[in-house]
Amino acid sequence: MTKKPMKRNLRNNLVGWSFLSIWAIGFILFMAYPLILSFYYSLSKVTLSGEGIIVDFIWFENYRQIFSSAAGFSFLQSVRDFAFEILFKVPIITVFAIIIAVLLNQKMKLRGLFRAVYFLPVIIASGPVINQLISQGAATIPLVEESGLIDLINSTFTESLAKPIANIFSELIVILWVSGVQILVFIAALQKIDRSTYEAAMIDGAGPWESFWKITMPALKSMVTVSIIFTIINLATFSENDAILHIKNNMFALDTGFGFSSAVAWIYFIALALILGVAMFAIRLFTKDKVRR
Amino acid sequence: MKKHSKFQGTKINPSRFHPSQIRYLVILTPVVMFMLLPLLYIFNHAFKPLEELFYYPPRFIVERPTLANFTRLFQVTGTSGIPMSRYFFNSVIVTVLVLVASVLISTMAGYALSKLNFKGKKAMNEINTLSLMFVGIAVTIPRYLIVEQLGLIDNFFVHVLPYLAVPVGLFLIKQFVDQIPNELIDASRVDGANEWQIYTKIILPLIKPAIATIVILSFQTVWNSADTSTTYINNDLLKTFAFYMNTLTANTNAVAGQGMAAAASLIMFLPNLIIFIVMQSKVMDTMAHSGIK
Repeated sequence: MTKKPMKRNLRNNLVGWSFLSIWAIGFILFMAYPLILSFYYSLSKVTLSGEGIIVDFIWFENYRQIFSSAAGFSFLQSVRDFAFEILFKVPIITVFAIIIAVLLNQKMKLRGLFRAVYFLPVIIASGPVINQLISQGAATIPLVEESGLIDLINSTFTESLAKPIANIFSELIVILWVSGVQILVFIAALQKIDRSTYEAAMIDGAGPWESFWKITMPALKSMVTVSIIFTIINLATFSENDAILHIKNNMFALDTGFGFSSAVAWIYFIALALILGVAMFAIRLFTKDKVRR
Repeated sequence: MKKHSKFQGTKINPSRFHPSQIRYLVILTPVVMFMLLPLLYIFNHAFKPLEELFYYPPRFIVERPTLANFTRLFQVTGTSGIPMSRYFFNSVIVTVLVLVASVLISTMAGYALSKLNFKGKKAMNEINTLSLMFVGIAVTIPRYLIVEQLGLIDNFFVHVLPYLAVPVGLFLIKQFVDQIPNELIDASRVDGANEWQIYTKIILPLIKPAIATIVILSFQTVWNSADTSTTYINNDLLKTFAFYMNTLTANTNAVAGQGMAAAASLIMFLPNLIIFIVMQSKVMDTMAHSGIK
């Protein structure tokens, strides 16, 4: 593009911000400002009393407490468990979603119905329904537990590895239930591929396996990133997540309170940002490798 | 199979069955069973007599269906002062307002962040992605303070406002707008369309799947949320249906409450299902029409 005159720039800024303005105001009021306040609280001792909220600034005392007290320790442990969980679940969910999306993109009888059913978990997995299912133990496959598979996992892996792996098997159904949006995102990307590309590849002698890696996967690449971000966030902000329960429980607890709870939330936030950063870095490495070949 | 693809590019279901489709159906059908399990469970659970509710491991199918849970639920309903229809009406209004406003706001913002050039765009994108990771529950108290300062306590709109600037919605919308080819927008700009026309005539129709997804997702959040009622509203007349359902089941004794909770969650769940059925055809109704390959 050539260099634009100043006036054009001003106009662009004006148009851009007017489209964004309502969202930006809402975001500042109900997201950004509360975030800043909560950071301030994380550096304070917050007491809720009849007359209002009493805030004593105590610097990093809350953070120090997280790394030294029992409540903080069990929180850190749940963050560690969550990181392991992510490590296993994100690839499983992504691969599963890609496979299902590719299948649902084939021409076949009842395709509309199948697509609807695979998207159905979206209304189950993020609602209170799933909490009820999990709390009643209906979200695990009884077969998995009874077949002794869990015992086998416990005996073959070290303790820190066995727990997340066992979790994955007992939560297999839940994994299927949380991939609705990811499947949708991949189907949307698949539909942008022109079918004649496959036909041309086939004429040139490419098998389905080669077509998948050379045509399908490159088209899905940007959506893999989206799906991974969405999966991590979806799992991380899931209301039954252990770390979130810690934030919730400490909020009105007498000995810790909202200041401590805010500090916990901020540490969780930083941990998630790190996890996402690592995931993005891994994706970039992986795709670079592909190009070189 | 390939022979028909030219004619059926925009249809979801091909009209003819072909043996080559069997391999896809063989893989997809068993997983469909898993996907439908939660639905089966919710419906059956609500009709279970007391002793069946406590089976361990839980069963999916009810053996002796009964309406007792529902009659008990409505008996409790009868004794409290405010009619149930009032809460229901409140929830309907709140949900409709949130859906309309949040779709408008997040699509406008998504268009701006994806296709318009203006100062601060990159920063806003980063900020939104980062705030995705912050757990909503951690800002409960700061949000309360802001709502209080704005004088919105016991104001009906406090049910609506916090849901208008939701980072996840914008994130998904933006990904879909990114998929729209720039050539399409440039072409219409050459033809004399202004930004608003591009937004309404090109962007909105092309991201229907994303809009439908956002509608389904935010319907659930808003419809099922009792948080705003508990935190910001003291006046019983302004509280929502979800809050009402929660209090009903929370106030009775634990054993009988289980059955009522099951019935209540079925009643709460049905609107989710209806919205899903209405919207899902649009979700899956492809981006295939986008014009440029």
